[in-house]
Amino acid sequence: MKKVLKSILCILAVFAMVACNSDDEVEQPTASVSINKTTLNINESMEIHFTGSASDVVVYTGDLNHCYDLREESNYGLVVNKGLFTYAYSTPGTYTVVVVATNHGNEGKDIKRDTYTFDVKVIDDVTTIDKISAPAVLYDEVFATAVNENDWVLALPRKIKYKTSTPSVSLSQKLKFYIESDMSEISIDGKAYATNTKYNLANPLAINVRSHEGSERNYTLYTINYGEFKTFELLGVKGKITRTEYDYSYYEINLEVPAGSDLSSVAPKFTLYSTNEVPYIDGVEQISEQTTVDFTKPVTYKFVCSHPQKPELKLESTCVVTVSVK
Amino acid sequence: MCKYIFKIKAILVVALASMALVSCDDFLDKELVGNPTEDDYYTTNYQLQTALNATYDLLQSDSFTNIEWWFGEACGDDVIDSDEGLSSDLGQLVNFRFSNNNSKILERWTTLYKGVHRANQVIANIHKCEITNTQYNTYKAIREIYGQAKFLRAFYYFGLVKTFGGVPIRPEVETVDNLVIPRSSLEECYAYIEKDLREAAVMLPNRYSGGDCGKAGAGAAVGLLMKVLMYEATNGTPSEKWEQCAQMGDYFVKGDPMTMAKMLDYPARYEGMDWDELRESLWFKPKALNAGSDPYEGPDYEIAKLSTAYSLEYRDAVNNPLTYYEQFWIEGEFCKGSVFEIVFKESGDGTLGDTNEGGYIYDTLFSTSTTMWANDERMNTIFGTDARRQYVLGHHQTTPDMQNTEIGSGRNLPLKWYTPVKDRSTYGGDNGKNRRVMRYPEVVLTYAEALNECGRRAEALEALNSNKRVVNKIDNSTVLYIGGGYGYLRDQIWKERRIELAFEWDRFWDIVRTGRAKECLAELANSRSNKRGLYFRKGVNEIFPIPQNEIDISNGIVTQNPGY
Repeated sequence: MKKVLKSILCILAVFAMVACNSDDEVEQPTASVSINKTTLNINESMEIHFTGSASDVVVYTGDLNHCYDLREESNYGLVVNKGLFTYAYSTPGTYTVVVVATNHGNEGKDIKRDTYTFDVKVIDDVTTIDKISAPAVLYDEVFATAVNENDWVLALPRKIKYKTSTPSVSLSQKLKFYIESDMSEISIDGKAYATNTKYNLANPLAINVRSHEGSERNYTLYTINYGEFKTFELLGVKGKITRTEYDYSYYEINLEVPAGSDLSSVAPKFTLYSTNEVPYIDGVEQISEQTTVDFTKPVTYKFVCSHPQKPELKLESTCVVTVSVK
Repeated sequence: MCKYIFKIKAILVVALASMALVSCDDFLDKELVGNPTEDDYYTTNYQLQTALNATYDLLQSDSFTNIEWWFGEACGDDVIDSDEGLSSDLGQLVNFRFSNNNSKILERWTTLYKGVHRANQVIANIHKCEITNTQYNTYKAIREIYGQAKFLRAFYYFGLVKTFGGVPIRPEVETVDNLVIPRSSLEECYAYIEKDLREAAVMLPNRYSGGDCGKAGAGAAVGLLMKVLMYEATNGTPSEKWEQCAQMGDYFVKGDPMTMAKMLDYPARYEGMDWDELRESLWFKPKALNAGSDPYEGPDYEIAKLSTAYSLEYRDAVNNPLTYYEQFWIEGEFCKGSVFEIVFKESGDGTLGDTNEGGYIYDTLFSTSTTMWANDERMNTIFGTDARRQYVLGHHQTTPDMQNTEIGSGRNLPLKWYTPVKDRSTYGGDNGKNRRVMRYPEVVLTYAEALNECGRRAEALEALNSNKRVVNKIDNSTVLYIGGGYGYLRDQIWKERRIELAFEWDRFWDIVRTGRAKECLAELANSRSNKRGLYFRKGVNEIFPIPQNEIDISNGIVTQNPGY
């Protein structure tokens, strides 16, 4: 029986030694990964799934401060905790990514590493304009509207009410572009865009956006003034436009005619700024000195102003004429 | 031989007996007697109140204070931070050069979810409350606890959503079987927040007074709802959210009537739910139990007006006049302009070590070792010649209680962070004044912005100038904002918002909300040698990464934000 017990003790001792042996020998780690894509847009997430085996995994992403080759010069890798690592690059370029898998033992004295290296290409291909504005229309920033994939319309008033004055709005304005990427280059009518340059909005502007990657996209900015009466006269009395500072598409004309005037059917005399502006009442086109109107109550004119070079682009405005009798 | 066999048998018997003992764990299943458990705790409104207190308690923690100024102010363009180096997590955060493992981002996540969890404890257990009578006020008392919990849950979720985008909506009853919850969409999160706030708005009195001061009232719920709606909307893009925000302002500021159904957005948000069923779920007294004098709140029931409960004038709770800066001091606690504030009370023994007493803000921010300040260049950018500039003090200036400021040359600190000597405790870390989280001027300026976005520009100007007229009393100025087109009014509203709410830890969120973060931080970077703000990535850094820890423990079910 003693022999049996001794044998059991010997076997247990061998087991114990074998078990302890694992502290001394560090297993070789394996650095292998799966990557969702190797060509990315700026700010697009790269996903690295670690598929190897190691106790510690670090990723050197290859951009500023994270270069593997500069790891002795304060560049550092980013720790992967549970196998999934995501990262995005903010500037275009080609980056060398190094995944370092490490096992260590014997109180850190024995270290074994394996690395996996791959390149990712990051491109900046933004050519989309988010917003266009005229940022200094006297004191206001006026935004253009995108009417389709390529055409934008900037609606401007001819005059603006400011406190007690009504200064005119010039068609020579600065422009501001809202684009996601700082690296996209904009040109207007073939010349590089500048924030301080005033552009002549009387004619359509050909805008070109070129991405860092080299893609190009063309846009056109059309400017239309809100339609309004240049002059308005009723029974020999000239009307004067009253504007509101809040809504450039709305204005009023108030006039007072002599006592005894019949307002039930009068053809006003008016002039317009251009032939592209057409006034309507209840959908009926109004013609100066021809179309008769009942002015016994306020009358609402709807203006439709189309762009001379692209008539399908239209802009609406409203004028309310109120006539009183002395 | 027999002796050895006997020994071996004895060892085996002992081993088996031990195993048998280990497997006998019946004693663990015995019912606890005398100590409350989660199942039987929430049976009285007093017990529910303690759970609600715990939900408020988080607001007093240093952790909550920290996550508020780190993100709301230190990341913004109004201040210079003491730690702008890239060797610390805070420095990396304010430079937008952080990794997904940044500890500050994780702390914001965990702190706010702690608040959600505590609010959920109240909300999930409110139905367990056993009432001893059917008096109207018995229902009202429970309803108000419920309403405050809903407000607080929305408050914490809003903090999460504006930081991370759509987040996991935690189940009200948490079990080990559903610990990992995937993220909900941004729209789903906002709908959840809105519902809580709309319900809180009809469940709570317009504001609390006396010993109940500090509890969130309907004003806080509607004010936060307006802010949430504004965050959901986009400047320059007409939307239903802007319209709803303006409608809420019509009610809160202008004084238009508001029915319960309209506030709740009933029936749209309660498909197929009967009105009385909804009432009862919100702890309104069941119609069948109503006594003659009990009110019955039908869909058209008009909820209490808020416009008379708050004011832009600098007046304390009993209408005594205040100076501008006293609004932020003890004199101005629960003043007419305070919509929601975090209450800090001195602990019973006044000793060291209690970190929930509010002195932390003064100690941390208004000292020689302040963590952030405005330099003279920032002061000019923020205030220009505005009268409110005088309430931000420079080095070696005199506070209103005649103290010499020792804050460092070239630094300017607001009296909003200052605690006068008489209000400081003998013991460090104790006492302090309440922190104003939302003031009435913010509500009015939110209203003005919504009105402008809805094309109601004359009204927007009036709302904007209503605050400016009160400010003008500081220096007898007559300068008001001027009417104009959309862009002009919008810029003036943003300017007033920046000045009025300066250093109240909302600036970063404001420039993100309005789509100007890149532009504003680039302007800051140009004025700084270390270029802080330059690395803000438009389209990415408007929200922060989900902490990597959360993604890891969810095994990837919680997904990362784009760009991280």
